This record gives sequence, structure tokens and C-alpha cells, in this order.
Amino acid sequence: MTAPTQTTSPGQTSDGSPLETIKVNPKQDAGIERRMSGPGRIGVWIVVVLAGIWTVVPLLWMLLGSFKSSADVTSASPKWFFAPSLENYAGLFTGANNLGPYIVNSMLAAGISAILSLVLGTLAGYGLARTEMKGKRHLAFWIISTRMAPIAAVILPLFLMFRVAGLIDTLPGLILAYMTFNLPFATWLMQAFFAEIPPSIEESAKVAGCTNWQAFWYVVLPLSKSGLVTTGILCLVFAWNDYAFASTFAGPNSQTLPIAASQLVTQTGVDWGQLTAIGTIVVVPMVIAGLAVRRWLVTGLSLGAVTGE
Amino acid sequence: MKPDSVSVEERPAGARPSQQPEPRRQPRRLHFSAGLLAPAVVVMAILSVIPFITLIVMSFSRVRLLGGLRLEFAGLDNWARALTDIDLWTSWLLTAIFFVATVGLEMVLGIAIAFSLHKVIRGRSLLLSIILLPMFVAPVIVGLLGRYLTDPTFGLYAHVLQNLGIKEDILGNPTSAFIAVTLMDVWEWTPLVALIALAGFSSVNPSILEAAALDGAGQFKTLRHIVFPAISNVLLVALLIRSMDAVRYFDIITITTNGGPANATKIVPLRLFETAFRFFDLGYAAAIGLMMLIVTILIAQVFVRMLDKKGLTK
Repeated sequence: MTAPTQTTSPGQTSDGSPLETIKVNPKQDAGIERRMSGPGRIGVWIVVVLAGIWTVVPLLWMLLGSFKSSADVTSASPKWFFAPSLENYAGLFTGANNLGPYIVNSMLAAGISAILSLVLGTLAGYGLARTEMKGKRHLAFWIISTRMAPIAAVILPLFLMFRVAGLIDTLPGLILAYMTFNLPFATWLMQAFFAEIPPSIEESAKVAGCTNWQAFWYVVLPLSKSGLVTTGILCLVFAWNDYAFASTFAGPNSQTLPIAASQLVTQTGVDWGQLTAIGTIVVVPMVIAGLAVRRWLVTGLSLGAVTGE
Repeated sequence: MKPDSVSVEERPAGARPSQQPEPRRQPRRLHFSAGLLAPAVVVMAILSVIPFITLIVMSFSRVRLLGGLRLEFAGLDNWARALTDIDLWTSWLLTAIFFVATVGLEMVLGIAIAFSLHKVIRGRSLLLSIILLPMFVAPVIVGLLGRYLTDPTFGLYAHVLQNLGIKEDILGNPTSAFIAVTLMDVWEWTPLVALIALAGFSSVNPSILEAAALDGAGQFKTLRHIVFPAISNVLLVALLIRSMDAVRYFDIITITTNGGPANATKIVPLRLFETAFRFFDLGYAAAIGLMMLIVTILIAQVFVRMLDKKGLTK
């Protein structure tokens, strides 16, 4: 499949290590903007501003809704100004539908699957990046195709397997289900990060007396910190945001936050105040985590095929 | 990132020299990398090869869940049914339209946004962060927010559209419901294309652009002959990733319309789910699942060919 393309210059590593030699300097672009004519500049700004509004309005409306009273949240004329209250959030943590267990389940299922995928995926990714074995390409292709498989087609056989193994409605079952997409993702992505570290670095470590493992652990891993963080966070986001697997495999003992959100939609109606509050709780941590790795996001989300700014 | 250089000379404590500077390094390295690969490969085999075989077996069986799980051989029944099921073919058509609409819009809008962002200098970083936000929002929440915004009595977007003269119930009407779920997917994933395309634009060497400008090439000519050829690989990667995901995900539609109204948004994964977990016809669902898998592989092959032509795969 796609190897790091020629957008990467030789010797450049995406993690900003000292090996990095070439960096796109944003200031260099200044000449381009200066050359743009008046209408061109206006056009550019129109696109950017419209894109910003299109992006922000739904999220802002959700955030505002979560602080509205139940009358304001479904008011026929949209209310931008209102007396804020915490009643929606309070409602989520009291009474029969306490959100606490859902949050714990989400954290455990997403967190553990991300950590396991990261550990196994890092080892395998390094092995894959450095191996010279025959059939390496086939192995790599198999790993990436596992990740690309349609979710619905994966859920079906897992449902039978989990029934036989008694894993329906258990956290370990959910964690395993999340590893079906997170483990190949982590392996492939770490492989891409490791491939950018020149093997000569470990070679010299080994000449200096390190074993294979020591060269990996003490020399290569510290150089891959940004790759590790990016991979871990993206695995966490994918698992945390999952609905398809949780809606099939989770039961009363293992329900996650997206399930809690969908359960607020009932035959009799929807409590939109509480729903916007749950939405905010689900979204805010992932947005913070995602933006924290923004610099390596291109590499992460293109599975290492493109190296970014 | 801070330049945390690890010099080889100052090996951390605990990194003892190995007994002998090995003469037979190649085999040892092979064992080493195979050992690293083993645990993940075993887990992936359990989570992908066994399910894959199970799926094939299921597609040739009648699956009984009541009174203990049983598989009864059904020959080609499920496959014959899948190939002649008009409803399923309608779903495939909807899937194709959904695929072309979402991926097409995301590519066009993503490239336009990336191009514009690339031209912006002051505040680019903040603008990019804002535009990336939807990617981190759980698809379920995107769907629920879509319902909230398009509700005919209190939805913000419904309100705006009503003022523009569009008064119908957006998710209650087949055409507008289809457009709405398409736009929700576009809202969530256009940022991904924009992000990848922006990396492409940033990789174009500014001095080549300077030279083009000095030679008197206009904006459009520069774009057409220098910028786009240079970033076409990057765009191909974006297209591949979005195409694969367009077949994979279905959360937004599930939570918004669940295939309705009048099956107008019932793309194949939703029909599979309904067949499997509402009618508990797991054998037939497995045949549908394998069809999806085959289609995914075919699409992936097309892209791998295109990337191969450009010499991008090893």
C-alpha cells in the first residue's frame, strides 16, 4: 500500500526530531498572498469564513443548548441569549439515569483498548518497519485491509463468536471489538513513524554494544514520542466515539456514553437539554485530545501516507 | 517537538553491552522483528481471520439463535436471495449515490478550504483548529445534533430554511432526508480532506512558484500546471481514505433516520443491520456483509492501481 510519499524529503522525520532538516516555513508563503489580487483575497476570506461558520454553528448551538432551561432549548424562535443554568448537567447525574457508570465504561473500554493496541501495535509496527522477511508486503496489506473492512461485516461474525464465548455485554468483549480496528491502525501508523527513523541510528547503537531490544527501547522509542502520543490519542478517539459496536455488544453492564446519548431518544420524545449536555460531555475531551496532537494529525489520519506541515 | 536527541555514546543505565558483537546478525534481526510482530499478528488473526471464515460459513448457512446457536447448511440460498433481492439492489443504488455525493463534496470542499487556508497567513493556525473540530465529534452526536438542528418546530436550521420558504419536515421527506444525512457526513469529514490537502499545498516548493511568477505564469496556470500535479498524490491518498470510510461508517444515518423515510436512506450497512438484528436472519446478513467486503476490496484495488502507476507503493 501507500508508503510515505515524496512529500517527505529524505532525512526528514515527521516528529520534529533533530533529524529534521527541511521544514516548510509559513513565512515563505507571504509572497504568494501579496501577489493575490483584491478579488482573489476576498474570495479566499469568504471561503474561510463560511467554512468556519458552517463548522462552528452546530457545536456552539449544542454548547448553548446544554445550559438552557427545557423551555428555552426547544423554543420555537431560536434563543441566543438566555439565563444559563446547570439543570441539564445536574439532571444527568441524579436519579435513575445516572450517567456515572456510562462514563466509567466509556473510559475503561476506550482507554484499555487504546493502551493494548498501542503496546502491541508499537512492537509490531517496529518489527514491520525493520523486517526484511519475505512476504512483508502481503503482511502489511493484510493489516491495512483489516482496518478498512466494513464495520457491519465485522460485527456479524463477532456477534456469533462473542455469543459462544460469553463476551456479549462485557467490557472485555467491547475492548476486543475496539481492537479489531485500533490494533491494525496502531500497527500501520507506528510502522509509518518508525520507517522515517533512519536504521543507521540503531546500527550505531548496536555497534556501541546495545542489543536489538536495547536499541529499540532506549534509542528508537524516545525518538518516536510524538508518534506514540498521536497513535494513542487517535485510538482513544475512535473507540470513545464508537456507536456501532457498542450498540450491538453492550448491554446493561457495559453501556457507553454514545449509547446513553442514543437512549435519550425515546418514543415519547427527546429531552434535548440533557441530550446537548451529554453531547458536550462526549465531544469536549476528544476535541481537546485531538487538537493536542494537531501537528501530527495529517500523518495520523492519512495512515502515514502524507507527512504534514 | 523539543529536540530530545539521544546520543548513542551516553547509553542509559541498564543498557549493558551484549555478550558478543554478533557475526550472524541477519538471522537474529529476523527473529527479533518476527518476535515483535508475533503478539499483534496473533491477536489480529483471532479478530480478523476467524471472523472472516465465520462470515463465509454463515453466508452458506441458516443461523438459528433460539435454543442454542446452530448453523444449518443452506447451500447457495442466501446468495441467490441476495442477488435477486430488489430491495437490496435499491440499497446498493442508494449506497452508490451516497458514496459519490459524500466523497465528491468532501473532496471539492476540502480542497477549496485547504487552498484558501493556505493563502491565509495571519490566524491560519487558529482557523485550522476550528475547521478541524468536527472530525473529533462522535458520529452519534453528529446525527443527534442534525436532528436537533432540523426539527420542524424548534430546529435552528429548520427555522432558517422556513424563513427562506422551505417549510417541509426535513428528515420526514425522502429527498431532503437524504440530502440532510449526506450533509452531516460532509460536515464531519470535509475537515479531514482539507487537512490532508493543506499538507499537500504546503509541500509545494515556494521557490518554484516564485520562478513561475517571474516567468509570467498567472494564478490559474500556476495552479493547473505546477500546484495540482505536485499534490495529486496527496489528494489521491485523501480520496482513498474517504472512500474506504464512506463504505465503513453508518452511525450518522442509523441515529438520524434509521433508513427512513420510506427507505430513502437505507444504505447497505443499515439493511444488513436490520436483517441481522431485527429479523435475526444472520445467514442472509452474512451474504450481504461479504458483498460489502468484496465491493470494498474492488474499490481499494482501483486506488492501489492508481498509486502503483505513480510509483507510490513499494
